[in-house]
Amino acid sequence: MDAQGASRRGAFVVLGDLSVVQAKPTIPLGVLFSNSGPYANLGREGLGGALTAIAEINNSDRFAFEFSPQVRDPKGSIEAYAPLCREIVSDTGAHFVVGCTTSWSRKEVIPVLEKTGAQLWYPCPYEGFESNDHVVYVGACPNQHAVPLLDHIVPAFGASVALVGSNYIWGWETNRIAREHVEAVGGSVLSERYVALGDTDIAYIVEEIARKKPDFVFNTLIGPSSHAFVRAYAELGRVDRAFSPATRPIVSCNWTEHEIDELGEDAAGHFSVAPYFQSMTGAANARFLAAARDYAGASRVSAFFAQSYSAVYMIAHGVAATKSWNTDAVLAHAQSHDFEAPFGPVRIDGRNNHAVLAPHIGRANANGQFEPAGPQAVPVLPDPYLASRPFVQSVFVDAHAEQTGRTAAQHLKVVK
Amino acid sequence: MTRSLGQTPNFEGWRAAILHRPHEMVKAMTRQLERFGIRGEACWPNLLAAEPDGEFDILFFDADMGHESQFCWGPGEAPIPTIALIGSEAPGRVAWAIAQGADAHLLKPVGSAGIYAAILLATKAFEKRQALVDETEKLRARLSARECVAAATAQIMMSDNVDAGEAYRRLRLMAMRERRTIEVMSAAILKTVGGGVARNDSA
Repeated sequence: MDAQGASRRGAFVVLGDLSVVQAKPTIPLGVLFSNSGPYANLGREGLGGALTAIAEINNSDRFAFEFSPQVRDPKGSIEAYAPLCREIVSDTGAHFVVGCTTSWSRKEVIPVLEKTGAQLWYPCPYEGFESNDHVVYVGACPNQHAVPLLDHIVPAFGASVALVGSNYIWGWETNRIAREHVEAVGGSVLSERYVALGDTDIAYIVEEIARKKPDFVFNTLIGPSSHAFVRAYAELGRVDRAFSPATRPIVSCNWTEHEIDELGEDAAGHFSVAPYFQSMTGAANARFLAAARDYAGASRVSAFFAQSYSAVYMIAHGVAATKSWNTDAVLAHAQSHDFEAPFGPVRIDGRNNHAVLAPHIGRANANGQFEPAGPQAVPVLPDPYLASRPFVQSVFVDAHAEQTGRTAAQHLKVVK
Repeated sequence: MTRSLGQTPNFEGWRAAILHRPHEMVKAMTRQLERFGIRGEACWPNLLAAEPDGEFDILFFDADMGHESQFCWGPGEAPIPTIALIGSEAPGRVAWAIAQGADAHLLKPVGSAGIYAAILLATKAFEKRQALVDETEKLRARLSARECVAAATAQIMMSDNVDAGEAYRRLRLMAMRERRTIEVMSAAILKTVGGGVARNDSA
């Protein structure tokens, strides 16, 4: 791709005057996902989505430039993210990086972004409580995943829950929100267990659940731990139908088609929530699936793939519309124009740099797909700090109201 | 293992004062505060000027160019949580921020990260500080009422012809029955005997 344009820096110089350029100028675009390591299955989704969009854009007449993908693989090593991000920005001159799966890796690269002025487009769901001016959050935050999922599950199955999670911030914080949610409606947490990343010794957790009989299991385990847990729970359900998914389902906020495909029958009947499921109907998704197959050889894709794909497109449309690779200008475009993503129109909320997304509730079938299970999904404004939410008052607010004699305001859910 | 404790704070409707000279950083802070549901209001050179229609809930103050006359309270007497914005780490400036009773601090330039945690820390530290002040006041009041309790105990010793331990036990029982503190009960006993401490002249 570089051969078509001048040098990378030269390409930037001519970009300002696209009309007189014959050959398409080339813009470097950082792609930073782990293709190996403990969460490689999710990293590959992000990588595949980004490369599919880049290939499509580069083959399209609609864009007067090409992206030169600057791919780096931190291999799941947390220490590798910041140096590789710095390398992308310093050595290739990229202003945009699409990447990171875990919050830890995102937090690692933020100092590099702040120092260099580069912009990270982060395409994964996360636990919220961040809003950095150098990051565009394309995945869901808790008011777009855990909250709508629980809104659907608690009335249907009950408000007593077992919390299981991987022992890091995603598990802790997402489970904390689940605890707050069920306790606010008079429910209770019957058990709470965490396992180290990659650990598959989870029999004791299933035994505890069998003893305590929660109405449902809230699962924030990732990777092999999640798979081991679901298999063991399915075994329990076969022995005792009181633990079948129809009675006591497992619900997750980041389950993908790949995971449930691997688990087959064992996953069937359990729930997930995401802005995108492969099973969605519509022409935009059909086109996207064809592109994923043609360019990435991917016959099975997830929200991680679709969001990464969309992130690249949002950057491309911003560059095309503003005839600039200025990060502020490109972001401003994404904040003021809908992008027709495979899962519907998406736009970045200018107040916090997070995407406005419609949370879909899906129920896994035995063929590795999610079937629509919840109410019709409507776009939900991102609220990464849960500043406006339907559940309980905080201790701070209570204490504060006491001091000031004020009554805390009624909390309304941000749904538009 | 319980890792999911702690409730999500809610700051909806809060107002924050940012006592700092006009600067890009103040705009960035205001933007970030809005994400938490807090309305940030820049004010300079002093707090009063920006407070026409009500109270602030939290204060960010500049430790570099700040001075005491900017506040409408004495050093360490802020009635709301305060967060020092520290640029220079020179001991004199840090000492000044400490003297103001800062509940938390942020290093300048303040970006997108740090403000949320600083607010949580400051709010909690302020609550603790207020609780300590209240407790201290309560203890002081009890200390000053000690003479009154002693006099009431002596009164009971004389009237009931009992020793000091028994007299105090009876005083406490009376207070419990009437759901009063021992100090209030003692004052009531002394009042019924004429407002003075009965003297045992023969002692």
